[in-house]
Amino acid sequence: MRAWIALLGGLISTAAPAQEPPPPIVPWVPVEVLRADFIAKTGGTMLYFGVNSALIGAPARSMLAAQAQWLRLNPYVSVKIEGHGDGGDTRDHALALGARRAAAVREALILLGVPPQQISISTWGSERPGPPRAEIKLVP
Amino acid sequence: MIRAAILFLLSLLAAVPAAAQPVTVIAVPPLATPSKGDKANEDLAIAWQATQQIVTDLRGTSELMPLTPKQKDVYSYPEVTAPSFPKWKAAGAKALVTGFVQTRDDGRLTFGCYVYDVASGRELGRKGFVVAADDLRRAAHRCSGLAYESITGSPGMFDTRIAYVAETGSGASLVRRVAIMDSDGFNHDYATMGETMVLSPRLSPRARSVAFVSFSGGSPHIRILDLETQRTNSLITGDPISFSPRFSPDGQKIAFTMVQGSNADIYVADAAGGPPVRLTTAPGIDTAPAFSPDGKRIVFESDRSGSQQLYVMDAEGSDQRRISFGTSAYAAPAWSPDGEYIAFVARQTGSRRIGIVRADGRDERIVTGGVTDDSPSWAPSSREILFERTDGGRPSLLRIALDESQPRTMTIPQPGSDPDWSGVIE
Repeated sequence: MRAWIALLGGLISTAAPAQEPPPPIVPWVPVEVLRADFIAKTGGTMLYFGVNSALIGAPARSMLAAQAQWLRLNPYVSVKIEGHGDGGDTRDHALALGARRAAAVREALILLGVPPQQISISTWGSERPGPPRAEIKLVP
Repeated sequence: MIRAAILFLLSLLAAVPAAAQPVTVIAVPPLATPSKGDKANEDLAIAWQATQQIVTDLRGTSELMPLTPKQKDVYSYPEVTAPSFPKWKAAGAKALVTGFVQTRDDGRLTFGCYVYDVASGRELGRKGFVVAADDLRRAAHRCSGLAYESITGSPGMFDTRIAYVAETGSGASLVRRVAIMDSDGFNHDYATMGETMVLSPRLSPRARSVAFVSFSGGSPHIRILDLETQRTNSLITGDPISFSPRFSPDGQKIAFTMVQGSNADIYVADAAGGPPVRLTTAPGIDTAPAFSPDGKRIVFESDRSGSQQLYVMDAEGSDQRRISFGTSAYAAPAWSPDGEYIAFVARQTGSRRIGIVRADGRDERIVTGGVTDDSPSWAPSSREILFERTDGGRPSLLRIALDESQPRTMTIPQPGSDPDWSGVIE
């Protein structure tokens, strides 16, 4: 898929904070490129949790700080946080737990200065097997 | 020493399963016809088809055992209302279902069904109705239902439908569709086409519509498909994260789970659309609501105490009381149609099984022995539970009668999960 998105602010120069409104002419960059940059600068898109927990542990916190900084520098890039439940959990509880994990990540990013409207959440419950996690996805 | 021996003997007794319910032998002679001449032969052929369907229906129950009818034993029309009881008594039958079929001038079929107690000669039930000629199977199901209900006191499950999630492919190419079929597996059809992932199909009480969770747009939300018009609507405007829909017994409302902020709570909304009304406010995960058969109460699961447990509240959200206190995590409750029991999933380390408990929390027991059992749904008779079991990564649908030890696998065209059994359609 060739999803294109406006690249603004800090992708070219991550040092410059995005305080100014976007320049009138901006290059278009595929979301895959943005995603690669996001991973390179923040360390990844996955945040892992303990079983039946939505608490964000210390390793995830340092990654979240980097992710928040990247999002602040790229304020026109929206993200969707997809939470997952625990393997072996019942369907509905897993959906709720996944939503709670996604919401916990969103709250943490907002506390780190990311505007709320930049972040949406979703949940896959136990429908996509894997470890207890939330994934940050750049929205094309 | 003696005490230990007694305890050992007691433990042996406890291991013996509850005595199976007595099976009632029922005679099912070929249905008769009042028609004369050539029409009589045509109607007798139709009657024989219906008779065979009734036998198949009743043979599928654990409470009734039909005597195999012979087509050549033509049953006369007067015998329908004046059976020769000594003959059936000699054949070992405790009950008798009989009736007649007649093609009307407009091509439709008139059906009459009668159920008798053989020992006393008493009529236990009768029913007459007119159906379209191509609705013979359903007409026979209605006779089977009359026989089952007259003898057991519980509604039959023959004229009912089952919805489930059909799963094809695997991994990234897994396709999930809402499938709906008659409870005997006939008339299998797909209600969604697999373009988006779906979960939790829940039929309205008479199977006129199906609520389900759709992931269109990448986030779970509840949609309702009218099975007559084939129109699909969102339950809640804006499709917020919502799941676990369940119709009220009158089909007018849907209880469900909605996530606001980080909190999952139980809400209720008109099935035809309307603003959601919040019923729970606890900071824990409240989900999987299910109405009591009188519509006055709702059972749900909540982890507000620190672990998943079952709670019952009034349908307006008041008087929330915990009813489960065991060591398992309790989930996915379903209230039996007779109101007596609540089925649930009991999750412990390494096992996920189906259990039942009385609605007041007494007499809890586990009824399946799987490690991946999920999604219990009651048969309209309240005597069987349909559930999902995953074996080798492939989910299948199983039925277990509450007085039997072994579940039976339902035959479906592909793997399937998350079943839901409707009430009686008629």
